This record gives sequence, structure tokens and C-alpha cells, in this order.
Amino acid sequence: MSVWIADLASRAARDGLDVVPFAVPLFIVAIAIEMVWAARRAPTAYEPGDTLTSLLMGLGSSIAGLVVAGAILLGAGWLYAHRMVTVPVTWWSWIAVFVLDDFNYYLFHRSAHRVRWFWASHVNHHSSQHYNLSTALRQTWTGFASLSFVFRIWPALFGVAPGMLLTVGGINLIYQFWIHTEAVGRMPRWFEAVMNTPSHHRVHHATNPRYLDHNYAGVFIVWDRLFGSFTPERDDDPVRYGIVHQLGTFSLWTVALHEWGAIARDMWRAPFRAKLGYLLREPGWSHDGSRDTTTTIRARWRAAQGED
Amino acid sequence: MSGKLVVLAEALFARPDIGPALIVATETLVSLLMVLAIYALARILRLGGDVRIADADHAARLADAAFPGFAAAEITLDRARIGALVRDRAGRVLLIRRHGARFVGSELTSHAGIRLDRHTLTLETGDRRFGTLTLDLGADAQIWAASLRRLDVPEHAA
Repeated sequence: MSVWIADLASRAARDGLDVVPFAVPLFIVAIAIEMVWAARRAPTAYEPGDTLTSLLMGLGSSIAGLVVAGAILLGAGWLYAHRMVTVPVTWWSWIAVFVLDDFNYYLFHRSAHRVRWFWASHVNHHSSQHYNLSTALRQTWTGFASLSFVFRIWPALFGVAPGMLLTVGGINLIYQFWIHTEAVGRMPRWFEAVMNTPSHHRVHHATNPRYLDHNYAGVFIVWDRLFGSFTPERDDDPVRYGIVHQLGTFSLWTVALHEWGAIARDMWRAPFRAKLGYLLREPGWSHDGSRDTTTTIRARWRAAQGED
Repeated sequence: MSGKLVVLAEALFARPDIGPALIVATETLVSLLMVLAIYALARILRLGGDVRIADADHAARLADAAFPGFAAAEITLDRARIGALVRDRAGRVLLIRRHGARFVGSELTSHAGIRLDRHTLTLETGDRRFGTLTLDLGADAQIWAASLRRLDVPEHAA
């Protein structure tokens, strides 16, 4: 058994083991089970049109991923070919690479919410007003175009085999599936302290001013606790899901591309000096201050709370 | 027939030299069928349901959710409770409408595109995604139509 695992780990490091396809049947079964739960306990937790959009976004993302996977692996391979050192493939290096990749996910994810360029390809994941397991599969079609993969492949330059990065990235993605649910309340305290959980991630998908732009973690919530972006879910402030300006449509094209179109329009209309701001500043930023960012929304909400 | 399917399935799982394009196409087709099956299950279980705005307080909460800090001062509800108009003390007006099993809101910034027909108001917010909504407001329709005329006229409509 141990020899088989060692051989599998070695081959995964060399060739990469895409674990996600193996998990897809489990995803489908879990969604079906959650739907039965919803039918009995919370029928509005699901909306057929919303679910169809989420799942088709997931399917489109898989296809887009297949198209660009070669290019990303080529990039990682090039970095690895020019590596400064070589990280050995051992049980501890697998764990270390998994933790490092999760930290890189945190960096990517935080950037995806604070830089409009990255937000444009990530916003679709937040565009559902529902929070269920199908929302987990509402994935981007344009992640490659935004170059967000750079956050995840740089360790190859420091000797981490591209196959290891691909493998741990897939495991990371699979972990994040189950936390997209309202069917689970709180996990045991020790688990909530270390791991990302449904409760923590509900906060991340919230539009409540208190919760906006928090809990960016993938697997380990410790990154948010370390870098000051953690906030707990509160029973007295039930989560409302979606984005600040809800889309109000189930259109695939709108979900997948609307923010890119908005960036293009804003850059076209903006004064020359402000154009890059609409690309690289936080979502909601405007050169004349006429729009709301999460910071201004929260400040106004806090001021209102103080008045009450 | 079923025997042929088993042979095909075994061939696909074994992934012999049938070419990656066929494998990808098959996986995509199977995924699409699973997506449609899940969608059908959601319909069969009648998920989503028929959500309505319960009362004025509910509409006020929806307005606050759509625009954090929006303090509703005046509210009128569609008779079927599928939409509402909400005004704050500063005179800003939000149009709330149903979207699936949730609600969305958009600010009315102009009276252009607002049409009164006895007890119904047809409203456009200027947001193409939000679309046009017709509310049956009963006697409130005329009162709100009159007050909405005070909204700014967009430059291109002048």
C-alpha cells in the first residue's frame, strides 16, 4: 500500500495528477442531496435558473481550463527549467507545497477582490444571490486571460515540480466545494479556528457591509486571521449573498463577461489620467468619487450604526 | 445495446488511443447531461418557489439590502407583491423586483421611461439588465406617477 502511494505521489509530482475530474461525480451527488435537504427545509435555498447558470459556468470553466492548461503548464515548466534550487518530492514537501499553494491562493483571492482587473474574472463566482453547493461550481471562464495563474505557478522557479502544483491546486479546489452551503451551521471550534468552513465562507460571499471583503481563505482560515482580513459570521446579521450591484439576470454571457465590458466602457469614457485606475484600482473606484467601494459602503454603514 | 454501451464505457475509462478530442468531447457531453439532470431535479422538487414581498417592512429591508443604508420613508407595493417602489427622505427612489427566488433593486434616476396607465406604472431604470417592470399599484399609481415626475430629466431627453 505504502509503495503504491509513494509511486502515485512520485508520478503526480512528475506528470501532475488532475484530481478534480474524479471528484465531479461526488459533486453531483452532493448537490442532489443538498437539493433534497432544501426541498424539506429551505426551498428558496435553490433556484433552478440560478443553479443551471452556475453549473453551466462550471462546465464552461472546465472547457476553458482544458484549452489553456497546456499554456499554464508550459509556463510552469519553463520556470521549473530555470529553477534556482530543487525541492525534493517527499511526504513533507507535499505538505509544505500544499500549505504554500493555499497561501498563494489567499494572495490571489485577496487581489481578486481588491484589483478590478482580477475581480473581472472572479466576480462571476459571487454573482449568485444563492449560496449552495452549485454556487461552488460557478467558476470563471476568463481566469487565464486575467493571468491570475501567475499567483500559483511561481514556486516552480524555486524548484517545486509543476506536477505538485497542479495536484495540490486541484485538492485545494475540491476542498472549497463543500464550504458553499447553508446546510452546515458551525463546525467544532478547533476546526473553525484553523480551517475554512461553510460559516467563514458564507461571510466571504456576503453583501452585508459588515462582511464585505473578508475571509479570503481557500483551505486554511489562518491566513485571514494572520493578515487581518478575518471576520466571523454573526447570528444577529444574517448573510445576504451576491454582489453589491446584483446582476438580476441568469444570462451566462452577462455572468461571465459583464465586468470586462464595464471596465472597457469606463476606460473609454474616463479622462486619460484616470484610465488605468479603472483597471487596477479596487472595484467601485471612480476618478470623481461618484461610486461606492466596499470601503465607502462600510464607512457609511458604520456611521449610520453610530447614529442609531 | 447495453452491451455496446458497456464496451464503450470500458474503452473510455481505459483511455486507449482514441484521441484526447474524443475523450474531452465525451466528458463534456456527460457533464452537460448531468447539469441538465440537476436542473430537472431542481424543477421537480419545486425549488425556488413563488416568493413575494410580504409587507412594507420587507420592502424596506430589501431596499436596505440593495443599497446599504437606504432608509425607506415611503413605500408602495405591487398588488401581486412582485415589486415595490421605495423612497427615502432625500427623495431617492428604488425599484425592487423579483429575480428568481430573490429580489433585486435599482435606483430610478429619471422620469423618462415611466408610463402611467390607470392603476399600473411601467418603469425603466435606465439599467438594461434590470429591464422594464410594470407594477399594479392601485390608487397609488397616480400619486407615485406624479411624484416621480420630479426626478431629474436626463440630458439626452431634454
